[in-house]
Amino acid sequence: MAAPDSPSAALRHRDLCSRGIRLAGKMRSDVVDLLDTYVERQGLDASASVAAMEGVPAAAAERWDEQTGTQRLLENLAAYRTFRALLAQMLEEQREQLGEADAALGQALAAVLLQVSAFAYHLEELLQLESRGPPSEEGAGPPPAPHLSLFERKLRGLGVLRELAQWAVRSARDLRQLAKPGPGSPAPSLAESP
Amino acid sequence: MFSGWSWVAHGLYLLLNICFLEVSGGLVQSCGHIIPESPVLALGSNFTALCILNESCLDFGNIYANQIIWKIKNRVVPKEQYREINRTVSSVTFNDTSLLATPLTCNILADGQIEQNIYGITVTVGLPPEKPKNLSCIVHQESKLTYPMTCTWNPGRHTFLDTHFRLKYRWPQENFPDCIPKDVNNSCTITDVQFFVNLEVWVEAANALGKAESDPLVLDPIEIVKPLSPHNLSVNSGILPTVLKLSWENRISAAVMKLKFNIRYRIIGDTNWMQVPPEDTASPRTSFSVQGLRPYTEYVFSIRCMKEDGVGYWSNWSEEKTGVTTEDRPSKGPPIWRIIDASHSPASWTVHLMWKALEPFEANGVILQYEVTVRAKSSLSSPPEKYNVNTTNLTLKLPNATYEVTVIAHNRVGASPPSVLLIPASNSKAPVKNVRTLPKDGKLWVGWTAPNSYVLKYVIEWCLVSNSSDCIIEWQNEPGNLQGTYLKGDIKPFKCYLITVYPLYADGQGSGQSVKAYLQQDRPSKGPTVQTKKVGKAEAVLTWNHLTVDEQNGFIRSYTIFYKTIDGNETAVTVDPSKTEYTLSSLTSDTLYTVRMMAYTDEGGRSGPDFTFTTQKFGKGEIEAIVVPVCLAFLLIVLLGVLFCFNKRDLIKKHIWPIVPDPSKSNIAQWSPQVPAKHNFSSKDQMYPEGSFTDVSVVEIEADDKKSFSEQDLKPFDLLKKEKSTSEGHSSGIGGSSCMSSPRQSVSDSDEGETTQNTSSTVQYSTVVLNGYRDQTPVQVFSRSESTQPLLDSEERSEDHAGGSDSTTQRQQYFKQNGGQDETNTDRPCFERTKQIIPANEGDLVGFAQLQISGQSSQPLGLGLEKNTQEAALSDVLQTNTEGQTVRPETVEGNPLSVDEMPKSYLPQTVRQGGYMPQ
Repeated sequence: MAAPDSPSAALRHRDLCSRGIRLAGKMRSDVVDLLDTYVERQGLDASASVAAMEGVPAAAAERWDEQTGTQRLLENLAAYRTFRALLAQMLEEQREQLGEADAALGQALAAVLLQVSAFAYHLEELLQLESRGPPSEEGAGPPPAPHLSLFERKLRGLGVLRELAQWAVRSARDLRQLAKPGPGSPAPSLAESP
Repeated sequence: MFSGWSWVAHGLYLLLNICFLEVSGGLVQSCGHIIPESPVLALGSNFTALCILNESCLDFGNIYANQIIWKIKNRVVPKEQYREINRTVSSVTFNDTSLLATPLTCNILADGQIEQNIYGITVTVGLPPEKPKNLSCIVHQESKLTYPMTCTWNPGRHTFLDTHFRLKYRWPQENFPDCIPKDVNNSCTITDVQFFVNLEVWVEAANALGKAESDPLVLDPIEIVKPLSPHNLSVNSGILPTVLKLSWENRISAAVMKLKFNIRYRIIGDTNWMQVPPEDTASPRTSFSVQGLRPYTEYVFSIRCMKEDGVGYWSNWSEEKTGVTTEDRPSKGPPIWRIIDASHSPASWTVHLMWKALEPFEANGVILQYEVTVRAKSSLSSPPEKYNVNTTNLTLKLPNATYEVTVIAHNRVGASPPSVLLIPASNSKAPVKNVRTLPKDGKLWVGWTAPNSYVLKYVIEWCLVSNSSDCIIEWQNEPGNLQGTYLKGDIKPFKCYLITVYPLYADGQGSGQSVKAYLQQDRPSKGPTVQTKKVGKAEAVLTWNHLTVDEQNGFIRSYTIFYKTIDGNETAVTVDPSKTEYTLSSLTSDTLYTVRMMAYTDEGGRSGPDFTFTTQKFGKGEIEAIVVPVCLAFLLIVLLGVLFCFNKRDLIKKHIWPIVPDPSKSNIAQWSPQVPAKHNFSSKDQMYPEGSFTDVSVVEIEADDKKSFSEQDLKPFDLLKKEKSTSEGHSSGIGGSSCMSSPRQSVSDSDEGETTQNTSSTVQYSTVVLNGYRDQTPVQVFSRSESTQPLLDSEERSEDHAGGSDSTTQRQQYFKQNGGQDETNTDRPCFERTKQIIPANEGDLVGFAQLQISGQSSQPLGLGLEKNTQEAALSDVLQTNTEGQTVRPETVEGNPLSVDEMPKSYLPQTVRQGGYMPQ
């Protein structure tokens, strides 16, 4: 992982990591709350298991500890860009389905969507500090939504939120890894964890 | 004339033309328009407007630009501001738009006379917006997931125009919809913000004249959060009596914000908050144990929170919750004191033990009872006596001795340390000195000088001194190292307090030293009532009573007596306050004085009622000095008079009580019947050479004799009265009458004499009763003498004539006038003698009086009582006689020698013709 060169860049890096970690923690907290609301409002069983779905990035990773910082950032960025598209799609479906009747669920979805966007922004900033610009968003969008039934769409939404919660945990860990002082870089003290 | 018709025709044509244009166009059309159309202008800028005429109007109406008149709100703009650009365009220029008004109209003067409006515009003048300043934002947490952000700014000056503000915000890669303020222009609230991402915020202000933006504010909203305060606060008492445990819930997720806290608390009823040290609550938590509290005390708690790192805002204080600590043993024993009443018997006391209830912070719970132990120090063998009481006093009867009293307070948890009081048999230890007081800060400070010995503690007793209530003793303990303290109690101003300080030693007690004090003094509520005790000629002794303690309101420093006369100046005298009497001196005698009295405290004085008194006219002893000498002089005169009278008693007796000659002892027997009467007369002087005849002789007359006289008989008496009156009264009696008797009368007298001498040889000398006693009808009585004295010659002759005619057998008494004087008077002419006789007549009058009295009561009465009446009666007599007297001189003069020739007789001389007649 390439460490930031200038002190200001190091500070910026540390700040971005710090706030990214806290944002991930809040995002996870909000997603967990949203999951409860979503299950309740959509009439689903909270214990229902959802199989891996196509187009939803999986948080699990092999040889996670062997990943470089840039690799972690790129994987996170790709995942959150996908989640951003998925959540926007869910929000649209929710509005179509429930209209303005369930504003709380819509607001919660919108809030999580914003946080996903914000986290993606953090990742892009970090990638820029890594002297590597963020990849273009072409092809990063979700696959075209297959024609699914309403219940399937609900289950898919449940799966998306659950995976997002997992990603929030992973992202916090990734950023913590990134925040660890590298050789020759100032030692930021990041004790916070969500 | 032609010209006039031409103008009218031209005007009509113009109107028709305008109407035609309007109708034909279907819209309102005019002959021109203004550029710019309704402009918005910056205040203070310059402005130029153009009025452009339509070509059609030029053709039909002969209207040209040089005929244009500009107006601002009906006010013509000066022509200097016009400029004719060409024949259809005229411009007007304003150097300062602040002079503009709306509307601005373009008018034309058709044919130089008729003014027609061509066009008008509305001009709006204002200012471009200023750059908004002082932008600041705060995130108010409204719920666990809702964080609206409110930003405020300074909109700048008023623009006079419709100015729109927009709060803009964005992430670096994402824009958000603007926040548009509602109803205000200086704040806007973004409904939800996301944390941990920098947000760029700025304000844009825009109106018709421009647009301005504030400086952008870049911030992470998490740094400006004002969180909701913790809620569901609960307070639980812990195991320890000094600890309470607080628990609460935070309403912001730890994932969002880590919190630190402030905890404040106070004793209920107290207003001052205490605070748990902030460093103890600087980490996230949901509970905290507050320590160091008082046992059995109710506390109020409140809590607040903010971001752990201190960036952001404190929440509001949470709702207040109360909790009570548990009880603990009383921390100290109750202060104890005693009042000893030894009045009943010197050998035994009545000891009133009293102790104060512990303060709540000392009692540490509910005091259930007090345990009192009394131990006699002298007899160590006797067991101490114990009393359990619920009140704070105990009265015991104890023999006079030294005792040690112990009081212990008990609550549910345990007992207090004991309080010990030593009651010595006598207060023989050294007392404190120099007890003094000082009002300070609304409290009364008491100070004293400590004795030389070590003092365990002091007891300060005090009570309110009043006439209306007893002295209820209050007291307090003070440590032995103090030499002054404030009285702890409700000390009222204007009230007198008696304060006593007792030093308590380890082995005894000193006697109390007292002082009186006021927390605050005032003028007396009334003045002394002054009155006089004694008033003299030049001094007055004033007395008054001291004011009661309740009336004094302070220490009476002095009295002042003011006194004055009605119209005089007031004089003031200052009197020592211990006095109740004062003597005013140098007063004016017989003068009304008004006096009043003022009593003074340190705060002023008050006057009592006025009292008036009048000084006496005479001083003490002056009257006595006058009266006593006068009385003494009077007595002396009386005494001298008495002595004089005593010495002259014979002379007085002679005048007042003349000796009636006893005819039986008369020496007339020596007379020779042949001796001419005149010789006898001359011899009378020799018989009574000293004039020792009493002027009046009282002769008893029996009452019945009065009746023996008829009224006719009494008539001559009236004549007699007249006769005497004519001779100026004071008749010398019979002698005088005889002088005035006519020869005829004498004959008549002789006839009478014959009558009266008829029965016996007794001779009537004279009897005249003139008047009645007081209002009684005067009874005139002739009294007859029964004297055996031989009658004079004439009488003897008369007796012969009247011998048998006097049938009266009554004895009559009479008194005889001084014959000596008669004889003297006979030598003189009757008129002369009448005058001269006046001084000597008093004796004759007395004789009359005596006669009259004897006629009434047959008793001699005092002279003085009847004198006036007699004089009045005599006066009548004299007055009546005046008439008869007027003819008398002729008679007398006609027979001057008859007196000498007439035999001397003592028959009643008043009898005239028709006078005394034998009955």
